[in-house]
Amino acid sequence: MKRREFIIGCSAAIAAMAGSRITGYSFAPDGSPGNILIYVFLRGGCDGLNLVAPVNDPNYIANRTADVRVTDSGDTEGLSLGNGLAGLDFRLHKKTSALKELYDSNALAIIHAAGLTNGTRSHFDAMDLIERGSLQNKTLNEGWLTRFLKSVPAAPEGNNIASVAIGTVMPTSFLGSNGTLAISNLNDYKLRGDKRYASILQSLYTGNSLLDEAAQNALTSVAEINNQLPKDVTNTPMPYVPENNVKYPESPLAKSLQTLAQLIKMETGLRVASVDYGGWDTHEHQQGAFANLADGLSTALGAFYNDISHHQKRVTLLVMSEFGRRLKSNKSNGTDHGHGNVMLVLGGEVKGGKMYGTWPGLENEQLDNHVDLAVTTDYRHVLSEILLKRMANPKLGYIFPGYKDYKPLNFLNGNALQIDYNNAK
Amino acid sequence: MKSPKNLSAAFPSLIASLKGYDLQPPPPTVIALNRVTYGATSALTEQVTKRGLGDYLEEQLHPKNEDERVVRKLSEATLPIKYNDKDGNPLVDEVRSLRLIDAPLSELWKLNNKDANLPYAEKIRALEEVRVASWLRAVYSPWQLREVMTEFWHNHFNVNASDQKISTVFPVYDRDVIRKNCFGNFRVFLEDVSKSAAMLYYLDNFTSKASPANENYARELFELHTLGSDFYFNNLYNRWRDVPGATAGKPVGYIDEDVYEAARAFTGWTVADGASSGKDKLPDTGEFYYYDGWHDNYQKRILGTEIEPNQPALSDGHLALDLVAHHPATAKHLCKKLCIRFISDQPPQSVVEGAVKVWIQHQKSPDQIGQTLRYILNTKEFAATWGQKVKRPFHLMVSMLRATQAEITPNQGLTGQLSQMGYLHYSWQTPTGHPDVMDYWLSSNSMIARWNVASSLLSVSPNNRIAAYDFARFVPPGMDKPQDLSRFWIDRVLQKKKTPDFEQAMIDFLRGDGKADQSIPADKLNNRLSGFIALLTMTPDFQLI
Repeated sequence: MKRREFIIGCSAAIAAMAGSRITGYSFAPDGSPGNILIYVFLRGGCDGLNLVAPVNDPNYIANRTADVRVTDSGDTEGLSLGNGLAGLDFRLHKKTSALKELYDSNALAIIHAAGLTNGTRSHFDAMDLIERGSLQNKTLNEGWLTRFLKSVPAAPEGNNIASVAIGTVMPTSFLGSNGTLAISNLNDYKLRGDKRYASILQSLYTGNSLLDEAAQNALTSVAEINNQLPKDVTNTPMPYVPENNVKYPESPLAKSLQTLAQLIKMETGLRVASVDYGGWDTHEHQQGAFANLADGLSTALGAFYNDISHHQKRVTLLVMSEFGRRLKSNKSNGTDHGHGNVMLVLGGEVKGGKMYGTWPGLENEQLDNHVDLAVTTDYRHVLSEILLKRMANPKLGYIFPGYKDYKPLNFLNGNALQIDYNNAK
Repeated sequence: MKSPKNLSAAFPSLIASLKGYDLQPPPPTVIALNRVTYGATSALTEQVTKRGLGDYLEEQLHPKNEDERVVRKLSEATLPIKYNDKDGNPLVDEVRSLRLIDAPLSELWKLNNKDANLPYAEKIRALEEVRVASWLRAVYSPWQLREVMTEFWHNHFNVNASDQKISTVFPVYDRDVIRKNCFGNFRVFLEDVSKSAAMLYYLDNFTSKASPANENYARELFELHTLGSDFYFNNLYNRWRDVPGATAGKPVGYIDEDVYEAARAFTGWTVADGASSGKDKLPDTGEFYYYDGWHDNYQKRILGTEIEPNQPALSDGHLALDLVAHHPATAKHLCKKLCIRFISDQPPQSVVEGAVKVWIQHQKSPDQIGQTLRYILNTKEFAATWGQKVKRPFHLMVSMLRATQAEITPNQGLTGQLSQMGYLHYSWQTPTGHPDVMDYWLSSNSMIARWNVASSLLSVSPNNRIAAYDFARFVPPGMDKPQDLSRFWIDRVLQKKKTPDFEQAMIDFLRGDGKADQSIPADKLNNRLSGFIALLTMTPDFQLI
């Protein structure tokens, strides 16, 4: 049986009692609430050339029907961005007005032509590699966020829920992290039935197998969250009320982000959270589907950012996808799997209102393999800048095995630490 | 953290008695049955122990028609359907029997009639009926391995039937593609899948035209349905000669160019859904249709094999299916997946290799899959390991129902309970299907849901509309004391020897405030037992296989 890293000198039972499974990084060394990294993954390969588009590039116009393209006028007219790349007229998809507002208020930075430099066009391999933080190795038994959590500087102890995957299951980026919780709805995160179940389960799942650790983790976190949830006089958890009269749209992404806002405000010590947003695999009739997806992304991010207005300085939210899509649209009015893509970074310490990266151009010979947007920024540069400047973690060599050529884009405020390319923790 | 101490304080005697809880595997017959069925009931274990496991497995590999009980259950099953008209007034609010699972395509296709413009609830009904039928068969069918394999193949050839277009043809996919081929020949199976409306819709091939073709189906055909991404040489992209073995006509894997060329081979493979193309209009029957006007008829090269231009109709696609179905990497991918399903997350290499031999040897046999399964299930490694996999949610819930011999009347609520545990019944969005490894099912959220489902599913409250239980019926006459009842149900549900500490803890739980030898009144028995049996199914012993 595969066993997780075990806490040396400490029996499993004692570890559970002490809450050691939920590792303690809740507070910065000075005791103030720490910074928070939110990792939003657009599953299915978002068409970055239709989200943030070089609308006046002749190759862009020539390779796509207007149905799968952002234009400078007419029905598909995009929202013009200042401070674009390569002197081109970059525009956001017309359904992303909230993103445009965030960009204009300098909270959102856009990095284009970024991604995994491994040339895979397989969703599942690309996600796997990105989430394991590797270029080649699909068999690493930990996700990059797990290694981040294991190498973050120690912090004072406290009640805390440091890392959370919003949703039912655990994404690969947290693979091997026995302290990370999966939660979809806080007020519903509880054990039902006979009151004695919790205690007997506590004593039945005491080994150090995957199952035992998952069970202990679930039991301790259920109790912890139930302790922390604001209750009314009848001891019933109160419904969550967002700030600034924010109304979250009805969508899974918005629900996830709302749960996250609630967790941030509960001050349970959150450091890292992941959120998934699926459905971006638009091989056919992309136009309508993409508009809905873009709208869903934009309105949810807008609502969330407004709701956490008192915590924005601590939050850095990154949006990425496994790869972008083919420059040329197919005969189904869709796009097939491509390569380079756009990444978005939102937060109070983001130097937003600006596009970053190097635009490689869309001439045939400028494309990757003559078909796809080339990658000019390794996605790890972007993640590393967040780790270095916002998350106080310089262990790039450990978190991204084999990585050694970090290049800052300077889309964040903060002082970069001395980089550690050593592959040890 | 304070909370765990609070938990212990709530029930101190129990905690003390379970110190050093010892998890042991059940007998090999029980392990085997838990892998080839949706739960080894005590009756089945007894029967198979008497006649021999080998005999049972052999019989399972040759399933017969459904037995009377399943036929009756299917004919008695009902599901509510409810929806409003455009102004929000109730239009339909009724309970209907299952009318679509046995319906021919011509009947199902009427749900798509554009003039009728039926609401979502009517279209999604087809999916809901298949789900109900799956529950009933999984719980009651004597042909358990067929049900397990049907789930395996639904997962391998995943489609998301919560798309209403796919839902309407889903009974055909389940019945005439997946069930029909689940022990059959892989090449035949693959072609049935490729021509099914469900897959043509799901991976978009129905709109694929020259040129550029839509690559979605071709890519997943290589990556998921056949060779698998372990044999994807993404760094070679279009340099096919650099793939080892390619110039001898036997490339060991595939490259992006193979995907592009295969996508071209399948252009024009579509659904007769009445679509217009120029002056032509496709028929409107829901059947597979080849439309030559969309086909890319120029030369292609797939897996090192040259294809001349202007081949006869369907020939390019048929050749592509031959090439991928008969590729050695496909044998490895599929056999490994079967071993992961039936043995462990890290199956012994020798068993995978042995299965590959059988798979390749029976490439042309009509029972290629059955032959391979027979090999795997008869190895000494099968049923030699335990505790390295957890039951996936559907397996978990069905095994609860089987262990208690419940009378079930499935409804839509079950789908929600499964999804709480991360299992999307015929609604998994991406073409990978659900993962089959332990890690995936053990998030904190799904762990809690796994326990919560026990108390809600096994509730005997009259409000519970999913299943009716009569636990008292199975209790031997005169048995009414917690200590005897506890042992009886541990034997029945867990089917393994337990330590005295565990037994004592369970007796303590069941007796509550009473004494171990104090009778539980007959009118309280079902209620008390339901909470107790739910607890047994929450133990690691029941969750692991």
